[in-house]
Amino acid sequence: MNWAEQIVKTLKDWDTSMIVYVPDISIHQVTSLIDADPFFRLVPATREEEAIGIAVGAYATGKNTAVFMQSSGFGNSINALASLCIPSRTPIPIFINLRGGLGEFNIAQVPMGRAVIPILDQLGLPHYTLEDDGNMERSLDGAMKLCYANRQPLGICLTTALHGGKVA
Amino acid sequence: MRRFEATQLVSRLAGESPIVSNLGPTSSDLWHSGHRDRNFYTYGSMGLCSSIALGMAMGTDEQVISLDGDGSLLMNLGTVASIGREQPKNLTVIVWDNEKWGQTGGQTSHTGMGTDLEQVAQSCGITHTKTVTDLEDFEAAVSEALASSDGPHFIVAKIEEAGGTTSVAPVEPELTLYRFRDSFVEPRKPGD
Repeated sequence: MNWAEQIVKTLKDWDTSMIVYVPDISIHQVTSLIDADPFFRLVPATREEEAIGIAVGAYATGKNTAVFMQSSGFGNSINALASLCIPSRTPIPIFINLRGGLGEFNIAQVPMGRAVIPILDQLGLPHYTLEDDGNMERSLDGAMKLCYANRQPLGICLTTALHGGKVA
Repeated sequence: MRRFEATQLVSRLAGESPIVSNLGPTSSDLWHSGHRDRNFYTYGSMGLCSSIALGMAMGTDEQVISLDGDGSLLMNLGTVASIGREQPKNLTVIVWDNEKWGQTGGQTSHTGMGTDLEQVAQSCGITHTKTVTDLEDFEAAVSEALASSDGPHFIVAKIEEAGGTTSVAPVEPELTLYRFRDSFVEPRKPGD
């Protein structure tokens, strides 16, 4: 089972069936699997803060949801996290393709990519950077458990070391 | 048409249907129209009211009502496109359009300068749209939308800028979310 298949399995294990996303070429390796699987409903949003709003609405009616986005789009979602999810204690696992690290070719991706983790820290939100190190199943399961126990968003960062990155 | 009177009407017509309200006076008006557990008041995240309602409409088969505002929806017009794309049959978006940013000094918003939100909705593939200016037409439009199963519906309600507004409702985001959610799922037990 590769990293993308492991994420899909974990989402199913946690009955997280509604996935809201803004497309990204690296996370396409996961969202294409989700799109092909009738267990899930995959909902494209026009912008990342909208994705958070849709996810909160679905959670409010009893559905577990997760959001997928790129690090640049994480910048678009900050106020939705800060003024909606955190005060209302909405648990949403957020899978973030972290640009701006090893192998990055685009200077415009570096500042926001490097700011994601400090911003998550400033907001007081837990986050984990996923590595394909043989412990993925345990790490993902633990992250989901923490997210729902803490009833707050949680960042799961995906790097080029995991998915290979975008080739310029 | 005054927003508070129109809100009271929506609250009466909605029955048990979930209502999401835009931040500020829209949420206060809804609270003062008679609190119910299925009112989802928002306190921040300007622009996301109808996005939250869209997520709800995909999470339940019940009719879902969004009480949005012109300034707020203008911040997130993309969500009108998402509603058009998803075509939730059980979603009614009501936009209180006073053509102003009423909470920041009454500056003229884009709808006061020609932007037509009903046309935006039409362009996004939402076919059931109306713009209404008086309470009688508003009641007819909301009644028709809630009785139908062929949503989404999009109603632009032109309102006067109210003189005396309702007092600020309690700010309790966590309570709002979980009492709302508990009306859809089994309440959490100790240790959950």
